[in-house]
Amino acid sequence: MRIGTIIRHAILLILGAVWIIPLYLFLVNAATPPKQYGGKERWQLPQTFGLTDNISSAWKAAHLSEAVLSTALYAVAGGVLAVLFASMAAFAIISLKVRGGFLWFLIIYAGTIFPFQMYLSPLYTMYVQRHLYNTHLGMLVLYTAIAIPFATFVMRNHFTSVPPDLGEAARLDGAGSVRVFANIFAPLSLNAFATVFILQFTWIWNDLLFGLTLSRSADIRPIMAALAALQGQYSSSGPPVALAGALIVSIPTFVLFFAVQRVFVRGLRATA
Amino acid sequence: MAQLTESSASLQNVTAARVSSWSRLSGRVSPYLFMLPALILVSLLLLWPFLRSAWLSFTNFKGIGEAKWVGLDNYRQLFNDPVLSTSMKNTLYWVIGTLVLPVGLGLLIAVASYDVRGGSLYRLPFLMPYALSGTAIATVWQFMLTKNGALNSILGALGLESLERSWLLRPPLNTWAMIFASTWQAVGVSVLLFLIGLQVIPRDPIEAARLDGAEGWRLFRDMTFPLLRPMTIVTVGISLVNSLKTFDIIWIMTQGGPYRSSETLAVTMYRQTFVLFEHGYGAAISVVLSVIVLIVSLLYLTRTLRSS
Repeated sequence: MRIGTIIRHAILLILGAVWIIPLYLFLVNAATPPKQYGGKERWQLPQTFGLTDNISSAWKAAHLSEAVLSTALYAVAGGVLAVLFASMAAFAIISLKVRGGFLWFLIIYAGTIFPFQMYLSPLYTMYVQRHLYNTHLGMLVLYTAIAIPFATFVMRNHFTSVPPDLGEAARLDGAGSVRVFANIFAPLSLNAFATVFILQFTWIWNDLLFGLTLSRSADIRPIMAALAALQGQYSSSGPPVALAGALIVSIPTFVLFFAVQRVFVRGLRATA
Repeated sequence: MAQLTESSASLQNVTAARVSSWSRLSGRVSPYLFMLPALILVSLLLLWPFLRSAWLSFTNFKGIGEAKWVGLDNYRQLFNDPVLSTSMKNTLYWVIGTLVLPVGLGLLIAVASYDVRGGSLYRLPFLMPYALSGTAIATVWQFMLTKNGALNSILGALGLESLERSWLLRPPLNTWAMIFASTWQAVGVSVLLFLIGLQVIPRDPIEAARLDGAEGWRLFRDMTFPLLRPMTIVTVGISLVNSLKTFDIIWIMTQGGPYRSSETLAVTMYRQTFVLFEHGYGAAISVVLSVIVLIVSLLYLTRTLRSS
């Protein structure tokens, strides 16, 4: 082996170890029964496997049943609605050639450029005044809206790759815009729909900031806000329970990421 | 009879005219109807709050009651507030740390693992944290970095007791500790981006340089890195914007403390608005943060839009 290759392997092994150790300790200590924890991290798997107990403690303490249901609603419905509304807008801009299309696109896309801190305070005030604060509807509407700009960006890129002749031909046959959209553009876009949906589902599932700001009660707040509350009672429940909580709430998006890694790379390519 | 035919003919004309004007109208209206849901949601929930924040930054709004215009007072206060100068300094640390750590390490890992046997297996540890949420990352690193946490016991076991620290309690160490925690998560994305870059750079110039005897570090410095430049810009842009927006990790690990020593602009804005109810002042901070993010975004946004 050449020296360069050896150096490359050495770099990867050392950095890899630095990255794996926290993951390993995360799993081992999430599986340690709180009684065996004793104030210090454990390096060996415990004699009695405490993961399921810890998960159920975390589940109860953070009211995760309610949080999982709410968050599934926000992430699934928010993702679907964002895909629908964004592709309708992209369709109008690309295929229906709405006047000033690029400007409309920029207006929608502008929603994703600024840091979210810019929206928080007026959103909070508006939500309190309009009785949307701490409601399922309020959270769903917000998550849909925040997912639309990036979704429109991807769908617009995608629709530029659909041959315009297809839409023109259907229109000459008397098909209206809705039929062209539903029967021609949509079937050609299933991959793009899935990409956008998965990315937005993941984003919504992992959001903490809006959950903290716009919701309060256990039946409304999304799952990361519930985990944050569990973390707040860190001292009372102890690290193993907090870690088990972090583990269980991560599973859906973690599995999704590795099941469809290609989709995430495609999403990165889109931003790149 | 003739009259009747005539009138029915004219009726037909009228209907035809109405139909065609209806279809012309719907032809003109329907594109807008397609955009309407997206436009309404984005305007009401993102653009309007954005404009209102910009306006609130010139007021003394406290969350309830009247918002009174105070001109540039909030911005003036911003430059004299010791909390803000700490927050600015920490934000700068995050920017520098992000350039060095997620971007630099990402490049190193991507280049080292590209074309190496077992490369995708080597990359796995760096991708796994990327698939976790910021809140979960913060929970793990809180556990790693507390006083009697895992990092200190690793240092103890290696005989490096002198390096043991209260990682999350001492500024500016707590900020750097959290930058590292964030790197642990974020390096995956730069590895992926640089890999995409490595896959699309032209092979010929590299082969030619290799035939000329360029190898290892020289090949990287003179050929690979310059050819990767477009992707480097994108990765730097994305990483910087993400690090400027970091909230979850700081909020969970230190809440910006102790004594507001580890806040960044994103966290200071949140505390000022939702803990101290100074919505006007918080808005001014978010405007400053937006200006910084915008400048960084323009670096790569212009490229993105031009290429699409």
